[in-house]
Amino acid sequence: MENWAIEAKDLVKKFPQRAPSNGNGAQTKKAPARWWPFRKREPKPLFTAVDGVSLQIERGEIFGLLGPNGAGKSTTIRMLCTLLEPTSGTAIINGFDITRQATQVRQSLGTLLAGERSIYWKLSGRENLEYFATLYHIPPAIAKKRVEELIERMELKERANELVEKYSTGMRQRIAISKALLARPPILLLDEPTLGLDPQAARNLRELILDLQKEGHTILLTTHYMEEADQLSDRIGIIDQGKIIALDTPEGLKRRIEQREIVRLEVAGWYEKMGEQVRQLPGIEDLTVRKVEGDDLWEVSVQSLNLRQSLPALVGLVNHNGSHLVNMNIQKPSLEDVFIHLTGKALRD
Amino acid sequence: MTVETQSLPAGSLARPSFSSDLRALWAVAYREWLYVVRYPTWALSLLVWPVIFPLLYLLTARALSGADGSGLAQFQANTGVGDYVGYIVVGTTIWMWQNVVLWNVGFSLRGEQMRGTLESNWLMPTRRFTYLLGSSIPHLLTMMLFLAISAFEFAVLFGVRFEGSLWLAMLVVLVSIPSVYGLGFAFASLVITAREANAFVFLVRGLVMIFCGITYPVNLLPAWMQPIAAFLPQTYIIRAMRSAALSTAGLEAIVPDLQILLVFGLAWLVLGYGMFQWMERRARKSGAIGQY
Ligand SMILES: Nc1ncnc2c1ncn2[C@@H]1O[C@H](COP(=O)(O)OP(=O)(O)OP(=O)(O)O)[C@@H](O)[C@H]1O
Ligand SMILES: [Mg+2]
Repeated sequence: MENWAIEAKDLVKKFPQRAPSNGNGAQTKKAPARWWPFRKREPKPLFTAVDGVSLQIERGEIFGLLGPNGAGKSTTIRMLCTLLEPTSGTAIINGFDITRQATQVRQSLGTLLAGERSIYWKLSGRENLEYFATLYHIPPAIAKKRVEELIERMELKERANELVEKYSTGMRQRIAISKALLARPPILLLDEPTLGLDPQAARNLRELILDLQKEGHTILLTTHYMEEADQLSDRIGIIDQGKIIALDTPEGLKRRIEQREIVRLEVAGWYEKMGEQVRQLPGIEDLTVRKVEGDDLWEVSVQSLNLRQSLPALVGLVNHNGSHLVNMNIQKPSLEDVFIHLTGKALRD
Repeated sequence: MTVETQSLPAGSLARPSFSSDLRALWAVAYREWLYVVRYPTWALSLLVWPVIFPLLYLLTARALSGADGSGLAQFQANTGVGDYVGYIVVGTTIWMWQNVVLWNVGFSLRGEQMRGTLESNWLMPTRRFTYLLGSSIPHLLTMMLFLAISAFEFAVLFGVRFEGSLWLAMLVVLVSIPSVYGLGFAFASLVITAREANAFVFLVRGLVMIFCGITYPVNLLPAWMQPIAAFLPQTYIIRAMRSAALSTAGLEAIVPDLQILLVFGLAWLVLGYGMFQWMERRARKSGAIGQY
């Protein structure tokens, strides 16, 4: 048997169906107040958030889980870190079973969830780290040294005694990551580590993640930025609607659409029907359309097996009926295009 | 569930032991304490509420007993107590104690759930009940302060003469703690899983207010209501506290009530613990810990 850092076996998570949320978990419709806090039992339809995820992650590897909003990335991470019980399936983390050996699993993991919201804003950075070090059962003398070491490393020395509420998002994220690193866990789970960071802070964090790998950590990270997954990951799992639909190295994934050429168009006055017409052109494989906000412009990405052949017809078509081509460039396939090829839709919209 | 060191991942800095469990409990208590001190809004209400809340009842009582206090003979006959002010403030204070504990303990978890830090704590290899226990310790201290301030204000502002014994009063408080906090733990568990659980605070509050005789003796309740009163620990806390603080009846007079309270305390602690475990399992299925 191979000694994987993380091995997920057919993980499934079903939730009771809930009202459509606005993305941050808040319910849009407020239930009427009741004098009795229990709800009447109604048979609730189930919604499958994670649908049979199997993964084998090697020690020392950075594995990127790439997928759009609501794909089931966070739910997968929450099952791996024992916050959620899988509906079926299981996972072995560092040799420990997530359902039967939860405490050992938690000792093996450093988890970053919900970013800056995961630490106490009314405590200083140092107080936060000292607190979590104690909850990790790190002896006081070692904890003290370790906290200073992390504060130093994250370049937070000057501000370590200020309340976290006065920090920038990037600084809060660094405290949150330090919290995950406290006990020197062999495996790190990072859920959208760069979400909400400015480009500079995100770049620094990505460098930090690569350094952590060099120091021997196994890292499972989720993201919906393909450049990030591409740059960081040794292997990538593309997840959509709870299923891993492709799993390979970034190069391997891109090789799948190697024969394809990608052309990005900016079109003024795009209309629905044009999409169908483009799809029917010879050599056209996939197509996604995104409206440019606040402008009468659409970004259209077209994958073609033979651009030479399809380009003239394509240009003719969009310069028709009052709509016209504003800009156009031809690109090498990116992971975004792999995603479009696999799902027929854009990763971000 | 402490793990033996040899099953720890190689290189981990963690050294779980009994004393590291205790340190974790202390860390949680200290962290909650920092939050109590850094959000000091509660301090004012600590001073004001003990006086404001009983006023309603005191003024009603004065209106009913007549300006010359002629109606008081009837009160004394019913209760065996002449000082109706002392009688009422003990009742209202115990009621407020339970009420504040429900909010503080119940909503300390809920508050963390909404701020997002509850998941962070749940990710730690520390036992989760340790966490609930630790976060209620600072509130225990502030409530002791609340009781002391109340007694002081009653003596100074309302002229209540506490003729009983301070030691006995403290004994009653001590014996009441398990029931009062056990109910708080049970409640905290409800708040995490049931969304409209503040409705439950109103329910408990109302029950205690009506059934436990905060301003009148329980035997004035209609016959069918009296058995319910007998099942609420607050009935005994209030009765014992009145005797301990206001009368000179001594320890023997309250021993039966204290015994009942110990039984209640044990039952509520077990129930509170059980409900917490149940909540934890449920939340692991539904994902409630990470929702707000
Ligand atoms: N506790 C829960 N109860 C019910 N539904 C849930 C719960 N947690 C997540 N979901 C739903 O499961 C689906 C997957 O959610 P998840 O948070 O795993 O997505 P994600 O890939 O992390 O997306 P995002 O980029 O938005 O973070 C979503 O539709 C979400 O609404
Ligand atoms: Mg997510």
